[in-house]
Amino acid sequence: MIMDALQRARNSEVKQSETWKRHIIRQLRHRNRTQTSVFQDIIESYHSLLEKSKQRAFITKGILGSGSRPSSVPSSEDSLTSLKTTTGELAYQVVELQQRLQMKDVTLDEQHTKAREASIHKELQMAASKNVNINEESGNVSPSEPSSPKSETAETVKRSHGALFRSASATSPRIISSIRGLFERKVRGKSVCRSEEDLFIPLGVCLVARVPTKAIYTLDAHELGINAVRFSTSSNLLATGGTDRVIKLWDIEAGTLQNRGTLDGSNEGITSIEFDPTGTRILAASYDKSALFWRLEDSVPKVTLTGHSRKVTAAKFKYSQRQVVTGSADRTVKIWDLQRAACIQTIEVLSFCSDVVCSEYLIISSHYDRKIRFWDSRAATCTQEVPLQGIGTSLDLCPNHRQLLSCSRDDILQLVDLRKSNDRVAFRAEGFKCGSDSTKAIFSPDGSFLAAGSADGAVYIWNVNTGNLEKRLPDMHSAPISAVAWSLSGEYVVSVDKSRRAVLWSDI
Amino acid sequence: MADDKDVLRDVWFGRIPACFTLSPEETTEREAEPYYLLLPRVSYLTLVTDKVKKHFLKVMKAEDVEEMWFEYEGTPLKWHYPIGVLFDLHASNTALPWSVSVHFKSFPEHDLLHCTSNSVIEAHFMSSIKEADALKHKSQVINDMQKKDHKQLWMGLQNDKFDQFWAMNRKLMEYPTEEGGFRYIPFRIYQTTSDRPFIQKLFRPVSAEGHALTLGDLLKELCPASICAEDEPKRFQVMVHGIEPLLETPVQWLSEHLSHPDNFLHISVIPAPSD
Repeated sequence: MIMDALQRARNSEVKQSETWKRHIIRQLRHRNRTQTSVFQDIIESYHSLLEKSKQRAFITKGILGSGSRPSSVPSSEDSLTSLKTTTGELAYQVVELQQRLQMKDVTLDEQHTKAREASIHKELQMAASKNVNINEESGNVSPSEPSSPKSETAETVKRSHGALFRSASATSPRIISSIRGLFERKVRGKSVCRSEEDLFIPLGVCLVARVPTKAIYTLDAHELGINAVRFSTSSNLLATGGTDRVIKLWDIEAGTLQNRGTLDGSNEGITSIEFDPTGTRILAASYDKSALFWRLEDSVPKVTLTGHSRKVTAAKFKYSQRQVVTGSADRTVKIWDLQRAACIQTIEVLSFCSDVVCSEYLIISSHYDRKIRFWDSRAATCTQEVPLQGIGTSLDLCPNHRQLLSCSRDDILQLVDLRKSNDRVAFRAEGFKCGSDSTKAIFSPDGSFLAAGSADGAVYIWNVNTGNLEKRLPDMHSAPISAVAWSLSGEYVVSVDKSRRAVLWSDI
Repeated sequence: MADDKDVLRDVWFGRIPACFTLSPEETTEREAEPYYLLLPRVSYLTLVTDKVKKHFLKVMKAEDVEEMWFEYEGTPLKWHYPIGVLFDLHASNTALPWSVSVHFKSFPEHDLLHCTSNSVIEAHFMSSIKEADALKHKSQVINDMQKKDHKQLWMGLQNDKFDQFWAMNRKLMEYPTEEGGFRYIPFRIYQTTSDRPFIQKLFRPVSAEGHALTLGDLLKELCPASICAEDEPKRFQVMVHGIEPLLETPVQWLSEHLSHPDNFLHISVIPAPSD
């Protein structure tokens, strides 16, 4: 009984719930019908008519209201902007075509050089084959006089052959011993571990380089644009050189740069500067086709190395200090004996050489034909070529000589592992633009950062380990930065630009 | 249950046809034409009348324009009430479309709140939701939601997105089954005939014995004048969303399905029309 009652109650509840719910649903539908549906179509049509009449009014206003002026003004503005865009495009095409022209010129030059080289090789072979006959007089050694870049090589050939012939008039054992003597002399001259004092002794080691955060001093350091800057290998002495033909020396005192002297002797602008490992000698390359060597205490160069036929872009001490390697725009790299101030060897490098670095046995050069070339100095042959995307502007070796940094005109810094040269890392940054054909990028003295100056006047510093831009130091230069230098102590960075300004940066 | 979903949709998409005319007191350069619009019942006047403002600004000088406000037959319309409530309360038995007058000057400071931007509407809307949840769940559900969920509720209303709104709102409509309903029902009873703006009191949806209470129980307790005996002619109409639910409708179901987006059950008690 109770169950039935409960069930009935539940049923009536269910029915009841349906009743009021159905009532609500019905009511809502009725409401929508009377209040919304009848008006919806009308109001929608009304809105679309309103839109159309608005548009028509707008158009009529445009035609009648302000007369012909509003229509003509936009058209003249349009034609102006279209003209501007076309001029812009044409200018861009002009620049592009010029670049292509330059590249074609470069390749043309290279092909000329290759042709000349081939002909010279052929002549040498002919001369070599001719000289097999020992009994001939020494006068007939060099059958032809090739053009000047090769003249030195030909002369050395002549000299060595001459020496051969002079002793050739004697009996054979003497010939053999003199030939052996020639080779021995050669070997000794080029051996690396000749004597203790000639070994490369790093006098200072940088434990940690500190990334600078602000400029602490600026000054217009020279009369004209500055091309090169270098810190001493043993102290915080700074050397700068540029178009005004002198090298100035600076001390860092109380956060300022104090002039400590001037080295002159160059007849034209300075392109690069290097200190010797003791920090007491300076080597510089110059536009006047020579490299100059000073002792710091003299203001006049002790040695001048002449022989290149075009500007010398880099001069570096070779592993043994008695030798200097220079790279030049005349497409040669020369090795010099510093004491005798004479060129020992000339390597034809096939393209305008923008920078040169030396490690134990290697000479590495960067070129305008977008290659980095590795040379075995003993054999004067190119052992390797590393391609770049743009013309190479500078090279630098990290302190442990295991990595090579190159900077090129395509705004990319490339790090090459010298032990396995397929290992290459590229560094870029937004806004970094290589400002000239001689812009220099460097390692920090501990090898963990890279620094380079950009065309936008900011110094960019990358972290070698992370590959990312570590710092950007803008706003101090108003001209493209040509070079940067990092002190051995790791705490100062100096940047120089084409408008003769030098800026000292630090993190304190 | 599909019926329930239909009810939610009908409630959300309810529309009122309105005709906006510029008040004759306003100074105009040309004659202003009336502007017709279908207003959503669940939204707020200042949220949906941008086009009205643009339409009338075309004929007015800029210096004559202050904050826009609306009035119906002499009564300034409070923008912070949902549109459906305003219509049901003031104009439910009149001819459609609803004629609203638009004013641009002489803002009635005592009757209306200023509404300078949509963020004012959003703040008011969110505070209503929070108040409703305080009554329903002691604010537990609303406080468990993240800020982006709150934003989703507002964006759903602003952009007329039923699914987006109810994805979040259904959480506010849940209750522990053992309770049988919310803690208290959030509701407001509006009457034109009284001085108070509205009646809002604590009311449990389930009686002490466990019965579900109805709309009739609610009105009997809080607004007894609105209910009259069966033999008397009906003096008042009890309107929710433009319809008159039966008095035996459970108030818990009404709160879940016939609330406005601000989670309140807005009930209008109006004099019955004398035909």
